[in-house]
Order: sequence, then structure tokens, then C-alpha cells
Amino acid sequence: MPYIGSEDTVRDLRRVLSNPNVQSDQLRYRNTILKVIRAMSQGVDVSGLFSEMVKACATVDIVQKKLVYVFLCSYATLNPELSLLVINTLRKDCQDPNPMVRSLALRNMTNLRLPSLVEYVEQPLTAGLRDRAACVRRVAVLGWAKLHNLQTNSEIDAAVVNELYSLLRDPDPVVMVNCLRALEEILREEGGVAINKPITHHLLNRLKECDIWGQCEVLRILQRYRPQSEDELFNILSLLDVSLISPHPPVMAATLSLFLSLCSGLPAVGLAALERVRGPLLAACGNTSREMQFTALCHIQLLLRSLPGLMGEHYKRFFCGYAEPAYIKQRKIEVLVELVNDDNVAILLDELRGYCTDVNISTAHAAISAIGRIGRSYSDKCLEILTELLGLKQEHITSAVVQTMRDLVWVCPQCSRTVCSAVEGCEAEIQDSQGRHALLWLLGVYGEQVSSVPYTLEVFIDGVRSEASVGVKMELLTATVRLFLCRPAETQDMLGRLLHYCIEEETNMCVSDQALLYYRLLHCGIEETRKVLQCRRSDPSLGVLIGRPAEPINQWSYIFNTLEPLRPGAIETDDALTASVSAPLSLSLSPALSPEEFEDLWLQQQCPTIFRCSPQSLQAAMQLVNIQTLAFTPPHTLPWRVYLYTNTQNKHSADTCHGTLILGELLVKKNTAEKGIKVTLKQQPRDEKALKGFLSVLTTVLHALSSE
Amino acid sequence: MSASAIFVLDLKGKVLICRNYKGDVDMAEIDHFMSLLMQHEEEGLICPVMAHGNVHFMWIKHSNLYLVATTNKNSNASLVYSFLYKLVEVFTEYFKELEEESIQDNFVVVYELLDELMDFGFPQTTDSKILQEYITQEGAKLEVAKTKVPTTVTNAVSWRSEGIKYKKNEVFIDVIESINSLDVTVNANGSVMSSDIVGSIKLKTMLSGMPELRLGLNDRVLFALTGRDKGKTVVMEDVKFHQCVRLSRFESDRTISFIPPDGESELMSYRINTHVKPLIWIESVIEKFSHSRVEIMVKAKGQFKKQSVANNVEVRVPVPSDADSPKFKTSTGHAKYVPEKNLVVWTIKSFPGGKEFLMRAHFGLPSVENDEAEGKPPITVKFEIPYFTVSGIQVRYMKIIEKSGYQALPWVRYITQSGDYQLRTNV
Repeated sequence: MPYIGSEDTVRDLRRVLSNPNVQSDQLRYRNTILKVIRAMSQGVDVSGLFSEMVKACATVDIVQKKLVYVFLCSYATLNPELSLLVINTLRKDCQDPNPMVRSLALRNMTNLRLPSLVEYVEQPLTAGLRDRAACVRRVAVLGWAKLHNLQTNSEIDAAVVNELYSLLRDPDPVVMVNCLRALEEILREEGGVAINKPITHHLLNRLKECDIWGQCEVLRILQRYRPQSEDELFNILSLLDVSLISPHPPVMAATLSLFLSLCSGLPAVGLAALERVRGPLLAACGNTSREMQFTALCHIQLLLRSLPGLMGEHYKRFFCGYAEPAYIKQRKIEVLVELVNDDNVAILLDELRGYCTDVNISTAHAAISAIGRIGRSYSDKCLEILTELLGLKQEHITSAVVQTMRDLVWVCPQCSRTVCSAVEGCEAEIQDSQGRHALLWLLGVYGEQVSSVPYTLEVFIDGVRSEASVGVKMELLTATVRLFLCRPAETQDMLGRLLHYCIEEETNMCVSDQALLYYRLLHCGIEETRKVLQCRRSDPSLGVLIGRPAEPINQWSYIFNTLEPLRPGAIETDDALTASVSAPLSLSLSPALSPEEFEDLWLQQQCPTIFRCSPQSLQAAMQLVNIQTLAFTPPHTLPWRVYLYTNTQNKHSADTCHGTLILGELLVKKNTAEKGIKVTLKQQPRDEKALKGFLSVLTTVLHALSSE
Repeated sequence: MSASAIFVLDLKGKVLICRNYKGDVDMAEIDHFMSLLMQHEEEGLICPVMAHGNVHFMWIKHSNLYLVATTNKNSNASLVYSFLYKLVEVFTEYFKELEEESIQDNFVVVYELLDELMDFGFPQTTDSKILQEYITQEGAKLEVAKTKVPTTVTNAVSWRSEGIKYKKNEVFIDVIESINSLDVTVNANGSVMSSDIVGSIKLKTMLSGMPELRLGLNDRVLFALTGRDKGKTVVMEDVKFHQCVRLSRFESDRTISFIPPDGESELMSYRINTHVKPLIWIESVIEKFSHSRVEIMVKAKGQFKKQSVANNVEVRVPVPSDADSPKFKTSTGHAKYVPEKNLVVWTIKSFPGGKEFLMRAHFGLPSVENDEAEGKPPITVKFEIPYFTVSGIQVRYMKIIEKSGYQALPWVRYITQSGDYQLRTNV
């Protein structure tokens, strides 16, 4: 309403509302109320009309009633006293012969959200539970939940709870489901509605009558049920089989979730269920709604954690369309990385290469880093693509490629030669600090292999005054010192200039402190510096096993079919991967696991025969007993070592999934002429019993292997 | 499921209408929605879930509206999205077109619908046919309220009211198939990457009383069951039925039997995942001579039966955004340059099967290069082929039985649409 301020509007409306002529003319009265509601939804504050609207509530016109109720529910909390006046009308309406009026009154009574009115509402609600019309019962049942929500600390009448339990047998499926929802809310402190055998079987039998919302609710609540026998369990599972392949994604997901919780003790059945939902899940990925597609993709990522091979042959379904939004493309790319195998790697990489030039920069970066991830197992092909991308001379692509190459080299040092020749001369295209950071790191570490490094660094050093990023400056320092160690003649002069600038002029504490540190270190002599800067953090011949172990289903089943998997980075596979990849370091340095909680135990075990077996068979044997081997040196090198880890689970405290973590190193030193293996174990938190148990398992495995 | 509140916002983020169902999330939280969305948009990372503190916004966009559900619990995301789409569906059925204007014109109905659709964060009655009986308002129509008890409250058939009467009893069956959007992708070296067909059977029922219908299709599983596996049959995947179809009967003997809802409804939808060869095959050669010109040659070939004709064929070929002075030559139809979309649109009114047509286009390019990175949009093709289904699905019979014993006429129509049919270019 232009040109009229809200105060004028309210004044005008009040005048019309209190005009007896208008009040007697039903149509005019209704139209005026319509205007009030319109003003309300346009954001005008019409709360001043509360008392007039309360009067308008007493009418036989159901249209007018509905309008007034909308108003009252919006403003009741501002006018608790005046709201008391409405209660009378509402209670009268609860006696109305028309069930629609009864349900309307009951619903709005509970929607006022005023604790002061609770005493007036209880009686009509109790009556509503026994109403003959289902629509009134539906409202009444939820009404109790709303009352409870209003005063959570007050005791709810046991009689009401009993009544609600008995209404689970109501002929109307919505009443039944609403009862579940209400009881769940009211009894939350006691852990929700009690799910026993009769209730479970009753709910399962009536599942088909419910609409999809109801089915999902029932399936969710049944997750708490623990079948008493295996027969019962399998009966339930076969009953639910139809829902498992339901065409409605929410029902399918809810059923799968129930399956997983029922079968938590039977992992094989759970895995079979995952196989069974493959079809419906793939269908959900082709849903017309992008949001549903997205949800399905996020959940597929969860499933792949336990069953990496689940979607292997259907990888084409995860190819991106041109017009798809970035959030779907990026999830699809993440899924594609998981699906790589020897057969499809060529097609997949070809497809991913297409995404690298996506208009959306973050999608392009996701595709580039995906290629890097695949490069951990198929480095030649991936490096070829990455090098080719550098040729495009696109700023953001070059930067992302260099970062990806840095990450790849870190894991697969054997790629360093290709990477070094590729990154030469691309410093001109990289503008952002992360990209330059990565480039400097590469130049520092592989300074010997790239001939032009001193010139590149010189450009950086000359421009250090205008450098804004602290990270780049620190990396530049490190890179220059590293280069100095291997090519002193070319670097000495510029290192001096850089140190001088950083110590004398740099205002950032971190940078100048690091410069001082290097300066003093150089004073101690070249050998000392070399020891600090060039010591290998891990054995260079130590190859990391690619690919994560399949997680048990209950690692993620509790967040399945919720909001959790949709959160950005919720199941960042990257995190998990880098964690396992950097594990060889954390075994010796353990930065990720707080050291003070670490208990080191050095133990020596004697093995009867010389330990000689292929890493594959060792890995397979270890996996049988749930020990994950993370990395080992190639066979026939000495000393030969293996790194491994496992978690012991405490059966008594099932709710806390943290058992104790054991990290271990097996070391074979033949040259000491000792026939034996040195076992080093680190444990967190300390648990003697678990450690002894672990050791006995380990020795059994080793004995079994060596006797073969 | 627990959605705490539902909001309908316009494109600027102004709340048009909202409903607070649970009262456990501050309604003012919605003010953060738009700024969050803008922030994500800037980063190029729009996501259908956004969080502000412990409040999560789950949203969908429909024409010029945002529909947002807020929650502070770890609720079931797929269910919330389904509900939001259900909202769109119900609103559309009421207002024909769901957009800002229709919300503003019908805010009373919207309030009423929101009230019936959900209570305390839980979906209640979502079937639009039943909802109609609860809703008193109908646009501008004002009459003294009916005090009739909704019949469906106690009705066994919740999707159909009793006492429907028509003078002429007819039912129209439309079998519509489309080659699903984005699924036909032909990669640069010319092989089909993946394709599937999405089909649906739509009904327009104009039948009196409570008729009992039976639909017969040439479904392969059925023919295998009855041992009459001859002639052309079709394997359907992902079959979805309207709630009126008796699923138990379909599972036992593949009979589709149902009491239809009145008026228009979608009886079933299905997906068929086969390698169909593209109905209209496109070969393109796009040669870009930097700083001077672009030459485009597109060949389209109808790879369907000679008797059939594709109508309203549109081939959209992307061109660089800085192209100018277009010149075209076509063997049939006509080509047009749409500079605002950077496309050449080649339209052919009727395209008989087995024929092959050619279009050549020539564009000039400025001598100063455009440095903005451009994606490689695919060539898209649109068409419609009447009296034809790709899958070969056929309605064998439709039996209509009503206790009054009237004669009713079933009409069947087939159509194949292109969906969003994409071919990647090699530029």
C-alpha cells in the first residue's frame, strides 16, 4: 500500500473493523480482515489490532475464522493477556458439529504457544483424542507434543501417554504416525517411544497404509528395535525388502538405514543390502530435482566408504552434464575418483580432463586435484594430462596444477623428474599465493634437477618487498636456503640479499624469525644446515599403499539419511586420504596425535625363521585380523620395514567408538645377523591388556606367515 | 523430518510468506539466508544446504521464488527436499503458475495450504486432491462457507471423491517418452556415452462414479510370466506408480489395476536404460581461425522410421561470444543468430525419418581477442516425434468397469520428446 504509512493503515483498519455496520455485513467484515492479513504478510506491524481481531473470531463463517486464526497465532506471544479472550471461542469451536471446525480450533489453540493457556487447552485435547473424526484426532495427538514442547520440564500425565500408546492402533494411518511423532517428542528424556515386539510388528504390518512421510517416520523410529532372534530379524528384513527398492528415494533411504541398524551385528547382510539399493540409488542420482540428486550423491559417497566397488561399472552415470550446478559436478568428481579401476581409468581421465576447463573455477580445481588423486595410482597418464593443462597458460589452471603436482610428488617421489620438467617456466602465470607457495616448495626441494631455478628465485627475491603473503615469503626463505645447499655458487649472493631484507626490514615476526633461524643455522656450518633441511622425513624407498581400507558400515551408518553427509566437507575424502598418506610421518613424528598422550613401548619379539614374504600376502594376512598395513619398503631391500595400525575396540563401552589406537613398525635387519623382527609399537591411550592381546594376534599372524 | 519453519522468499530475499511450525528456531534467522546465498554465489559454491550457527537452511528455487526450510536438528534432508517439491507441486496445482505474483495474489490460500500440509514440522495431508476439500478459499471466489464434512476423511479411496458425474465418459491416455536430460552425451570422437529414456503415462479421466480400470502394456516381464513372449516387448526399470495403483497386484501378475483420480494425473513413470542410438544424429565441424573467422558445418540425420516425422526440430549450436556478421546456408529450415545467448538456432519445422540436412554458418571474429575464459557448451537438439515411442511401449488395452455399467471410451496418444539432448563439441 503505497503512500500510506503503517500507522495510518492500522488506524484505518481499526476504524473499519470496529464499525458496527461492517460487522453486521459478513462479506465486508471478511474483506476487511483479509486486508489486515495482507498488511501482516507485507510486513506491516498490525499487532495493535489484536483486540479487534479477537472479537472477529466469534463468527460462524469458517473462512473468516481461518483468517483470524492466522493473525492470532502470529501475534499471540505479544499479547498473552488478550489471548485469554480467544480461548473461550476456541473451546466452543471444539464442540462444533463440523469436524473441520473442531480440528481447526484445536490446532490453533495449540499453536498460540502460550504457557499460560495450557490449563485451558488440556481438556479439549483429551476430548480430541477420542473424537470420532480422524482429522481431529490427528491434530489432538500432535497437540500434546506441542504442549510438552511449551513446558518441557513439566510432567505429562501418564494417562495421556497411555492413551497415545493405545492410539497407535488407530484405524487412520496418519493418527498412528502422529502418535509416534508425539510420543517421541514427549518421552525424549526416556529415550523416545518404547519399541517392543508387538508395537514393531503392528507398525510393520501397517507400513503400506502410510504415505511416504509416514513410512519414513515409522522406519526411522524402528531403528531402535532389536529383534529377539535371528528368525525374527530375517522375517522383518524380508518384509521390508519391497521398501528397500522403493522408487521414492526417502523411503528407500529410510529402509536402508533401518536395515543397517538392524544388521549391525551381521556386516555381510548389511553389505548385501547396499548391493540391493544400488539400482534405486542410481535412479535417485538421475532424479529430476537437483537437490535430490545432490542428496543421493552425498549418500553414495558414504556407501563407497564401505563398499568401494559398489558403483564401479556404473561410472558413466556420474559423468557431469554441461548445465549441472557446481555442487553436483564437484560431488560427482569426488565419486568418480573413488570409482577408478584399471579398465575405466582411460575413459575417466579423458572425461575429467574435460572438466578441468570448466567455467566455474572451483569445479575446474576440483577436477584437477581429482586427476592428482588418481595420479597416486596411475601417475604416468595423469602427469601427462597435468602437463598438457599447463600448456593452456591459464592463470588459475596453472596454479591448481602446480599445487596438485606438489601434493602428488609428496606421495609419489618417483614422479619428481616429470614434474620438474613440467613446472619449469610456469612461474609467470601463477598469481595467487597458494600457487606460488606450491611452486616455491617444488623449486626448493628439487632445485638440483631444474636448471633455471636460481633465475626464477632471483625474480622472487627481487620482488620480495611487494610480496603480501607471509606463507610465500617463508617458503621463499626455505627454498633459497635449500637451493644454496646444493648450488651454493649461484645462490650465495641472492640468499644474502634475502636474509638481509628479511632480518632488517621485514615487519612480520614469523618471517624475520625464520630468517634469523636460518642465518644462525648457516653459522653453525653447512653440514648442520644440511642435517636440518635435507633430512628425509621418511624413508625414500618406502612406498605408501594407495587406497583406503573399506570401513565397517557402522562407522557411518548413524549419520546415514540425515543432514550430516550434505554438509560441505562432511565426508571430505581428501582429509581421510591425506591422514592415511601422511601416516608414515606421523608414525615417527606423530604431529596429529598429541604426543603427551602417547605411550611408547618398545618390545622385542623373536621370530623363529627369517621373515620373508611378499607385501601382498602380508597385507592380506593382516587384513584378516583387522590390522591395516599402511606402508612398506619394496621387497628385498634392507632394512625391510612395514608400518601398520589397528584399533582395539572395547566391548563394554560400545557407545564411545574410541578404543585404543596402536601404531606399529616391523623392522627386519638382516645385516645384524640376528634372525628376528624388531617390533615397535605406539599406543594411545595406554592399555596394557589390549597391547598384550594385539601382540599375541600379531605373533600368530607372523608365525603363520613364516611357516608357509 | 522436523522442519522448524517454511519460508517463501522473493529473489531479493524478502519474505513473502512464512509459517512457523515448531517455534524452536528464531524467525529472524531467515535474514541471514540471502547474505549467505550471495556469499556462496560469489565463491561459486552454491549449495542446497547452508548453515548459520546451528540453523540449517535447505532451499530450492522455483521460477522467481526461494522456498526455504529451516531446522536446527540433524533432520532427514531427502525428506525435506521432497516436501519442498511437494509444496511446489501443490501450489502449482492451485495457482497454475507458481511465482511471486501468484503467491501475493493468493496469500490466504497459501496460509491455508501451509496449515494443512504440515503440523508441528511433520507433513500431514499432502495429496492435492484431498487438500481441495479442506481449503475454503478459492482465489477471489467468496461464498458463505460450506459446512460439508470432507468426505475423504472417512473415505476408503482417499484420492477420489464419491458422486462424480460426467455426461460423456472418456479417458485420455498419453504415453510420453523423453530422452532424459543430459543423458545422451556424444563425446567428441563420436561414440554415444550414455543414454536413457524416461517415460510417463498420463491420464485425463472424465469418468462417473467409482470406475475400476485395468491397463495392459507390452511389458516383457508380463509376457515372460504368461509365456507369450512374442512380438515387441519392453523391459521397464524404476517403475513408479500413482498411489491409486494396487501394487500387490502388479507384483503378483503385473496387472495395472486402479481406481483413477478425477481429472489429470500421472499414472506411472518409468525409466529404460538401453543404448538407443540418437534419434537425430548431429555431426559438426567447427573451425575457429583466431582473429578472423569461425566456420561451422552441422549435419543432422534423422535416425528413426521413414514413416515418422519429427516436428519443431531445433538445433542450437554455440558460437564464441565475440562473433559477428553471421552468414548462413541451410539445405532446409532456417538458421538464426541469437547473440544474447551466443547461439545459432537452426529450426526445421518437419524432419522426416531417414533424411539428412546440412547447415553452414560463417562468423567473423574481431582481431582483438576476448580474454575471458569461455566454457565449451554442447550442441543441444530439441524435437518432438508424435505417434512414436523410442522404447516401443504400447498400450494393449484399457478396461473400464463401473457398477452402473456405462460404456466409456479410452483414447491413446504417443509422443517422443527430446528432453535435453546434448552433443559435445570438439572446439
